[in-house]
Amino acid sequence: MSAMVEVRSVHKSFGSLEVLRGIDLEVRTGEVTVILGPSGSGKSTLLRTINHLEKVDNGWISVDGTLVGYRRSGDKLYELREREVLKQRTQIGFVFQNFNLFPHLTVLENVTEAPVAALGRSKKDAFAAAEKLLDRVGLADKATAYPKQLSGGQQQRVAIARALALEPKLLLFDEPTSALDPELVGEVLDVIKDLALQGTTMIVVTHEIGFAREVADTVVFMDEGRIVEQGAPADVLDAPQHERTRAFLSKVL
Amino acid sequence: MTLISAGDPPVDKATPPPGRTPAADDYSTLKVVPVRHPWRWAAVVVTAVLLVQFAHGLFTNPGWEWDVFARFFTAETILKAVWVTLQLTFYGTALGFALGIVLAFMRLSASPFLKSVAFAYIWAFRSIPLIVQLLFWFNLAYLYKELQFGIPFGPGFFTFDTMGLVGAMSAAVLGLALHQAAYAAEIVRGGVLAVDSGQLEAAAALGIPRLRQLRRIVLPQAMRSILPNAANEIISLFKGTSIVSVMAIGELFYQVQVVYGRNGRVVPLLMVATVWYILLTTALSVVQYYVERHYAKGAAR
Repeated sequence: MSAMVEVRSVHKSFGSLEVLRGIDLEVRTGEVTVILGPSGSGKSTLLRTINHLEKVDNGWISVDGTLVGYRRSGDKLYELREREVLKQRTQIGFVFQNFNLFPHLTVLENVTEAPVAALGRSKKDAFAAAEKLLDRVGLADKATAYPKQLSGGQQQRVAIARALALEPKLLLFDEPTSALDPELVGEVLDVIKDLALQGTTMIVVTHEIGFAREVADTVVFMDEGRIVEQGAPADVLDAPQHERTRAFLSKVL
Repeated sequence: MTLISAGDPPVDKATPPPGRTPAADDYSTLKVVPVRHPWRWAAVVVTAVLLVQFAHGLFTNPGWEWDVFARFFTAETILKAVWVTLQLTFYGTALGFALGIVLAFMRLSASPFLKSVAFAYIWAFRSIPLIVQLLFWFNLAYLYKELQFGIPFGPGFFTFDTMGLVGAMSAAVLGLALHQAAYAAEIVRGGVLAVDSGQLEAAAALGIPRLRQLRRIVLPQAMRSILPNAANEIISLFKGTSIVSVMAIGELFYQVQVVYGRNGRVVPLLMVATVWYILLTTALSVVQYYVERHYAKGAAR
């Protein structure tokens, strides 16, 4: 299968702190990649570089064969204008740890905002599509509610519907269940599992080892800005090759 | 199933433990006596007496001259003056906030030059007393005899006589608006900063165009914290228009001074101005309530 995401020798620093120290990663179309690692290992930053929320200092990233954030002309890379970056992002859904729903808009308005504003869909089409999506995440009856009236798990499911409304080629999840009460984690993971079963290409940063084992095609373990090892869940989780992976897994399992 | 297993000693519920009466065990039947606040009541009485005294004075003290008040309250000159005051407030607010929004986004921009210019503007106009500034604008013609519209440092297309263009009224509006812009800029900037940065990030991740991010996502949320401060500013500008009386513009306070200068009835005419200011401020507060309620959509409090 072809590569949906290609990450090549990506470096990123915040001031003097080097967060990503040469990342190479390939995600194939239709596959689920789970990134594990201790906090500060750079996994969230890596995810954010893939839709250009963070600019890379070195290296490059492509999604579905198109460079992210740059355009090649001859032997030069030109930085894209904000408008062009925004257009690229409509192909890449992003789900945040803290949901980041728009609190002053209803659930339905949250889901339809981007299709109308970024893709120029008619309100009627966007509303019809949004209702289907809300049904898919089990929140058809919450369309007119405001985010503050929902539980954390429900808010995150709305955020997933909002990301899906753009019909992206790729979905990125940044610790989607870390801000949730333990009893609400399951309902969000179920929605993500359902998407995985339907062949959505996804990269999920998470601490849910059980989810990784069950859903991931590839598990990537990161530490100190590098990928320490990657492979099938059975290999990485049950027979890790590196000491650091073993140390991390012994703490979280 | 029984809660008492065969091995437990039998419990006789009818016999209370020694040293306790049955009444002491069941507090729910007793009468509750609330705490008394004798000093609170004393304070209420003193305050009430003072209030009644004041109200009594309003009606019995002939110095208030309510007949004069009634005659002038809706007099044509006063109504005209109220209209001028409202116009000054409206133009001062509209132009002030329009410029203030531009200044706020200049200060929030990534360009050090635009940032510094906006900072310098706010610094200057907050440092100069409004009355000094107004007199400057009033005397603009002394500094610049004509104003020209054309290519900077090149030929001009239109030339205006400063005296003709910047009359007393426009000098006043200019002064109020430029002064207001400095404060409005900081209020708007504060409101925008109060919006969670995750909101902009989410909007950017969804590919929503930049202007729409501001208009649809940031500003409606910023309005929550902008509105109380903005209403304060509008109300204080409304009353602050009385300062324009130094430029002999026929707004409410100036007109009242003119009338009592002629007839000597100072107190009732000051009351005319006072009651108009109170009435219109109340109206603004009511508007504020409804506008705030509109922007509170989806908020928990």
